[in-house]
Amino acid sequence: MLFQPAIIALLLASALCVLALSASAPFALDVIRRWDIRSGSERQLQLERRTYLFSTLLTFVLALQLAAVLLFVFNAEKMSGMFVGAMCAVGTLNVNSFGFPALNAKIAVFFLAAMWLAINHVDSRARDYPLVRIKYALLLLLTPLLLASAWTELQYFLGLKTDVITSCCGSLFSEGRPTLAAEASSLPPLPAMWLFYGSLGAAIALAAVHGYGGGKQRWAAYGLAGASAAAFAATIAGILSFVSLYVYEHPNHHCPFCILKPEYGYQGYWLYVPLFGATAAGLAVGAIQPFARIAGLRDIVPGFSRRLAAIAANGFALTAAIATAMIWQSRLILLEH
Amino acid sequence: MIELSGIRKAFNQGRHNEYWALDGIDLSIEANKVTALRGPSGSGKTTLLTIVGCLARPTEGRVRLEGEDISGLPERFLTEIRRKRFGFIFQQFNLIKGLSALDNIILPAYPTGRPRRELLDRAEELLAGLKLGHRRNAKVEWLSGGEQQRVAICRALINDPELVIADEPTANLDTHLAGEFMGILESLAGQGRTILLTSHDPLVVESDVVQRVIDMRDGKLICHE
Repeated sequence: MLFQPAIIALLLASALCVLALSASAPFALDVIRRWDIRSGSERQLQLERRTYLFSTLLTFVLALQLAAVLLFVFNAEKMSGMFVGAMCAVGTLNVNSFGFPALNAKIAVFFLAAMWLAINHVDSRARDYPLVRIKYALLLLLTPLLLASAWTELQYFLGLKTDVITSCCGSLFSEGRPTLAAEASSLPPLPAMWLFYGSLGAAIALAAVHGYGGGKQRWAAYGLAGASAAAFAATIAGILSFVSLYVYEHPNHHCPFCILKPEYGYQGYWLYVPLFGATAAGLAVGAIQPFARIAGLRDIVPGFSRRLAAIAANGFALTAAIATAMIWQSRLILLEH
Repeated sequence: MIELSGIRKAFNQGRHNEYWALDGIDLSIEANKVTALRGPSGSGKTTLLTIVGCLARPTEGRVRLEGEDISGLPERFLTEIRRKRFGFIFQQFNLIKGLSALDNIILPAYPTGRPRRELLDRAEELLAGLKLGHRRNAKVEWLSGGEQQRVAICRALINDPELVIADEPTANLDTHLAGEFMGILESLAGQGRTILLTSHDPLVVESDVVQRVIDMRDGKLICHE
């Protein structure tokens, strides 16, 4: 089962990430303990030269992890035909107990890596390495999660047995089941719509306030980060509660993965890609704000924050527009006038 | 203008052929003056020049340009500093064959985004100033050594740098051309530019144009005049 192109690519990406982190961890410790920008010592100059190398390496492997989420989901969906009982990615992820933890870990890595990359980006724009200690300390905090994600993913792929009869999405997202997904699925459409459009609207409004203010209003930045996380949760709940129903034109099919299938024109990707991108950008706006007042970053953080806010606003607007288009085109009547 | 403190530079560090080209250089280079580094081959003149010009990084020590530490800057900032603040004249000129004198001169200004017309006007002005206007469209391989050097000088000046760095600028020139070069140097100094050059040519280091000579041997400064 391991010899599937997508699985090999995902395992290679994870292995690269683990290798890069293993190589970077001693360097990160060295930076935290010995960095002294005022010194011209050989050790300090070596650290300065190497930080550029490690920063580039980490940017590459973490960016790879961002792309890996998409491939992981695509692969789960593609492999669903190999397992008895699987109708979509849910069945593949349910083949063993590591499937959904691996997906959740990948999503967590996606958002945390995006925040780290944003911090690294502003640091690399400054002339005096103002965040070098902080970013490597954060990397050390991120390392256990990245290792856990890689390990969970490996366990999941190693445990993929074709003789296992798995369960389909119908059982996971059925109303009345004692799971978070089932609770979100059973959310009535009208309040779910208010929540969906309200949270996306709030995130867009905060992004606009932050962007038009030149990226300088810190309250709007933190608000945007919070609103982005809320909008992400509300959008997923909305997809479970009503968007999926409109796409499938079926009042009881709540699966958020079947919309990724070719039978539905891969519509799910149109929803998820802007949603994930916008949420990551919104969270990154919040991640860089604590450093906005550092002397070397005063001119850098607002500009970058503004660009991230624009990405977040456009991404959330696109998510709302695509969901609306899906509802508009559907023949399902879910709400009576 | 430029301060060097505790500069050391090793090549092949940690290997059997480790070599320290510079060993503890503390030096201050003043603005608007012509300074020459003099010393025998292997004394570390060119290595020091490349460190001052941000072409190489020291193994130890700091370089400060008008108070800002430039030895630790990431590469993207060094590129900007090299492009805008330094003009380089290399010993072998390093002109690009196949391109005309004009194209060679405006090449370092392309990344600045200035309009091509403006660059061509400035290049013409520089060529005319060095009496080479009639050779503007000649390919550089067709030019004589002296002409090539004047093209290299124009190229060094295209971005109007404050500081001009020249490595053994008269090494490939006869006495007459070397004398012409000193005349050009004098006019550059007259424009208020800081000039740092290496040479062991008496015609250069004993010239009145050079205001300060720094002697080097075995990677160390011998004395300051």
